[in-house]
Amino acid sequence: MGPLLYVSDLIVYIGIFGIVALSLNLEFGFAGLANFGKVAFFLIGAYTYALLSQIGVPFYLCLIAGASISAIFGLLVSLPALRLRADYLAIAVLAFGEILRLIVKSEKWLAGGDWGTPVSPIFSYTGSYIIYRLENIGLVFLCLFICFLVVQLLANSPYGRVLRAIREDEVAAEALGKNRSKYKAQAFMLGSAMAGLAGGLYAQYLQYVLPGMFMPMVTFTVWIMVLVGGPANNWGALLGAALVQIIARGTNIAKDYIALPIDLSDLQYIMFGALIILVLLYRPQGLLKESTIKTKALKLIRNGKRAVKNNGSK
Amino acid sequence: MEKELLRITGVSKHFGGVYAVNGVSLDINHGGICGLVGPNGSGKTTLFNTILGLHRPDEGTIYFNGKCINNLAPHQIYELGVVNAFQLPRLFYNLSVLDNMLVAARGHQGDRLYNSLFLRGRWQEQEKGLIEEALDILGIVELAQWAFSPAGELSGGQRKLLEVARGLMAKPRLLLLDEPAAGINPVLGKKIFEGIEDLSQEGLSFFIIEHRLEILFDFAHWVYVMDKGKIVVEGKPEEVLEDPAFYQVYLGE
Repeated sequence: MGPLLYVSDLIVYIGIFGIVALSLNLEFGFAGLANFGKVAFFLIGAYTYALLSQIGVPFYLCLIAGASISAIFGLLVSLPALRLRADYLAIAVLAFGEILRLIVKSEKWLAGGDWGTPVSPIFSYTGSYIIYRLENIGLVFLCLFICFLVVQLLANSPYGRVLRAIREDEVAAEALGKNRSKYKAQAFMLGSAMAGLAGGLYAQYLQYVLPGMFMPMVTFTVWIMVLVGGPANNWGALLGAALVQIIARGTNIAKDYIALPIDLSDLQYIMFGALIILVLLYRPQGLLKESTIKTKALKLIRNGKRAVKNNGSK
Repeated sequence: MEKELLRITGVSKHFGGVYAVNGVSLDINHGGICGLVGPNGSGKTTLFNTILGLHRPDEGTIYFNGKCINNLAPHQIYELGVVNAFQLPRLFYNLSVLDNMLVAARGHQGDRLYNSLFLRGRWQEQEKGLIEEALDILGIVELAQWAFSPAGELSGGQRKLLEVARGLMAKPRLLLLDEPAAGINPVLGKKIFEGIEDLSQEGLSFFIIEHRLEILFDFAHWVYVMDKGKIVVEGKPEEVLEDPAFYQVYLGE
């Protein structure tokens, strides 16, 4: 019974952080935006969900509201921030995340301050934890599937091509008629909406929110997911999310089975460091390399070319 | 319709106290091939960047097709049909050669977020046509067999060719070329200029910076000579060649 509980818990975490990793992959992997404030939008989604669920709003509306409010904040932050150079953008949004966390921490009337606030659950606990977990897995993976579909469609579309072009050389993209501020703001909004959705799912799953859940470290673990998995590859983002969560949850689980003189939860940070150094040294493009753009028309031409080549070699 | 496609009147651009472009006035006609020559650092590329909206002119006015474009953003100037090929290629190196071309296509429906997600049928057909066009242009510059390779794998000369090809892909009304033949072998360089001549007969206008005068002067209809931010000589190529001022500023005699 024990291991099954741990594994089901791990799967929920992979699903939730898979969504966040996909959102960062859209912003950083495709559009080249160094969003070091990912946790801010995760927090907005989680707190929105928590506060709305307490006044009896149905869960799907809570999720949609979390994603929408997060997207609005994404747009507001992006308007001044996207005029900044990449490194300053990173600092600005990092600060934004900390400011938000300190606000919910110190404003006790809002959501219980440091002690946090409970979330009304969707799925009633009927005595079997496994069924409860399966319901959560179902909800999380449905959302993950929708998000994956969106980013995958975008990656293989002319829109995704423009985002990649802006990442490669924004001045050239602008000179080729692409309104870079508009594209960046859109990518930032969409990424923030996805992070907000994941935040709502996180709050729902844990059934409480508190400021300590939204430390800057969350942002960095999501970055590790994308960098290890492979930027600009959506499968890579999912792979990275799975690897990082296996380490993060795995060390917590192992604590119950192995007695060591150190706390294994802290060991995970050493493992993250080692993982990122190894990947950057030996496979800087990430475990999976950047996916090529596959539109229907490009596939047709490519297959046609291959056919010509094969005939020629015969 | 105005006779001039591009009209520049008294345009200056200074960086601190240095006037990179100083009171330049010039005209480019529909279907014209204009050359711009001058020593290094004379302000030619700055003039191009000012036309493109990458710099705002400090003084003077730039008219495109009779409309003032001083305050437009680069992407808006591109929408009007003014397209540039950079001197040092600024390609999207991790994208394939073909994708580089497709980014440049003007009016691609799928460039919009909503269309990319929800109106997929609308741009899939359009993209087929655009790919055909792109492959045709790549054929002219002998890059067709590299279509699916990343642009970063091309040699220096090929990058330059792709930069020019990408400019053509946008179907511009005025194409600014910054040293299109630099680093290209003579035969291909001449071929590029022959292509330019064909396109100018179809109404496309060119403004070309080029140090390879033996090629440029064969094809240009009108030549401007710049020195220290000012136009010092202008005229038909054969007239410029007879002007002593041209020799003084450019050839150093």
